[in-house]
Amino acid sequence: MNLAVYIGRRLLLLPGMLVGITLLTFVISHAVPADPVAANLGDQAAANPETVAAFRHRWGLDRPVPQQYLIYVWRLVHGDMGMSISTHQPVATDLGQDLPATVELAFAAMLISVAVGIPLGIVAGVRRDTAVDQIARSSSLIGVSMPVFWLGLVALLVFYAWLGWAPSAGQLSPRLSRPPVVTGFVVVDALLAGESDVARDALSHLVLPALVLSSYSIGVITRMMRGSMLDVLGEDYVRTARAKGLPGLRVTLRHAARNALLPVITIVGLSFGGLLSGAVITETVFAWPGLGSYAFRSATSLDFPAIMGVGIVVASVYVFANLLVDIAYAVADPRIRMG
Amino acid sequence: MLPRPFVRSPLAVAALVVVVAWFAVAVAAPLIAPAPPLAQDIAQRLAPPGPQHWLGTDPLGRDILSRVLYGARISIPVGMAAVALAVLLGTLVGGIAGGTGGAVDEAIMRATDLMLAFPTVILAMIISAALGAGVWNAVLAIMVAWWPSYARFARGLVLAARGREYVEAARAVGASTLRVFGRHILVNVVSPIVILSTLDVGHAILTFASLSFLGLGPPPQIPEWGSMIASGRDYLVQWWISTFPGLAILTLVLALNLVGDSLRDALDPRLRRL
Repeated sequence: MNLAVYIGRRLLLLPGMLVGITLLTFVISHAVPADPVAANLGDQAAANPETVAAFRHRWGLDRPVPQQYLIYVWRLVHGDMGMSISTHQPVATDLGQDLPATVELAFAAMLISVAVGIPLGIVAGVRRDTAVDQIARSSSLIGVSMPVFWLGLVALLVFYAWLGWAPSAGQLSPRLSRPPVVTGFVVVDALLAGESDVARDALSHLVLPALVLSSYSIGVITRMMRGSMLDVLGEDYVRTARAKGLPGLRVTLRHAARNALLPVITIVGLSFGGLLSGAVITETVFAWPGLGSYAFRSATSLDFPAIMGVGIVVASVYVFANLLVDIAYAVADPRIRMG
Repeated sequence: MLPRPFVRSPLAVAALVVVVAWFAVAVAAPLIAPAPPLAQDIAQRLAPPGPQHWLGTDPLGRDILSRVLYGARISIPVGMAAVALAVLLGTLVGGIAGGTGGAVDEAIMRATDLMLAFPTVILAMIISAALGAGVWNAVLAIMVAWWPSYARFARGLVLAARGREYVEAARAVGASTLRVFGRHILVNVVSPIVILSTLDVGHAILTFASLSFLGLGPPPQIPEWGSMIASGRDYLVQWWISTFPGLAILTLVLALNLVGDSLRDALDPRLRRL
């Protein structure tokens, strides 16, 4: 099977997954004991039978359930996720505003995790059972055992309140205005607009939450990379390369690490979903104006359309991330697409 | 009783001692806590750690040490219950998928793919927004989010066991499908799953604390670690309010993970070098 056919097959599965996601969210939103009429209209309007009938008709609640699902999907395809009960704005508009901040945070955390986790995993694997290995193993175990919200508070306490190194919570200092939106990423937009002081300020706000958010995935990636290195270092081709007299560093990087990286790609892709989960919590600690803060506000105010919108967006991002991982994997390893 | 490589590792033994100590605290909290967890000492509100209140007091003048000790009574059972329920549901569904095969198997596996696309916290928020916050709904959320991974694991084990010679032999001598499944397949599925699931209790405790921190757990007066940390958010300078419950979570979860890792290494020699 060649690469194009493999990618084509994976793409064919995508609509199925997206239909599944909408079906699942539809079922959940219809299994909810809370009455959407009462939730959306308020007590006074709900007492008026005409208003209720009009509402039910408008949202298709008076039709058979399969038809309701089709209406639901039709609306979704047209970018209509309903109105948020708390912000009184379309959910899609809210999400469009908040998603870039979350992606910026998750992406920064991912960069940090890869930049720290992979070298650390390689060194720990090569220098197995030495002090470096012990430090790498225990710090990654602490990373996965740490409550990320607590780490965030401690980081704010130490670096903001005590040392004064980090700026306060938020995405930008209040005295600065946001650069014109191009990508939605404040750091990138500020650079594009040539406002270097805004970019520097935004970057300084990004560092602490991104570091906190990366604590978990650094641990996961380090452990995975170390294990994968140990597997590969025992392979015949590594022994052959050494026997040929190649320098140790060259064997480690070119022959071992390159091959050990393969299974780690999967973990990196999958941990992007975990990062989105972690972002929800990190954002509430750092008052980061993203999807997580929005989800938190919606969940606590029982804003059901809003929280469903977050669910759909996050699940779709996860499905796409998985697809990219699978394709990257197939490009890197011909055995996958042949199998 | 414990495997020898486990007993030989000082770190693993130390971690086990910490886990046992936390279990003991959960049982004995009313006996060892210096004050009832809800008792308010208004004159002493926001008191720093000192001789009267070892770990200080919170904004309502409640003793933090007592609340941290009582917190173990919620986190440990909740973590265990959430994992147990997810394992039960996952094994059942995965067993059915692996046992029947065909279209049923395919449908169940696609459903698990789908569930796994929703991050736990988001799923829990959806469930809480629909059903309301509370300990039970948080447990339910973790169960709903986690059963698919157990289902996939159980299915793999069932499929592996189905192909073994002793299953074929049982069939050949005329054992009924139900008997083959119950007596020959199930027993080989249960023990790896139980081991795997005990490794996840730490993770479940961490997830529960996160949900509780977000306000999706028990009501705020209940002494629970996640919500105690949340109550310290507006009091950064009074660092002790959120620091100590956080350390409680960290020590318990780290110890559970260490025990789990060491146990896995000891039980599976093939993985020991990892």
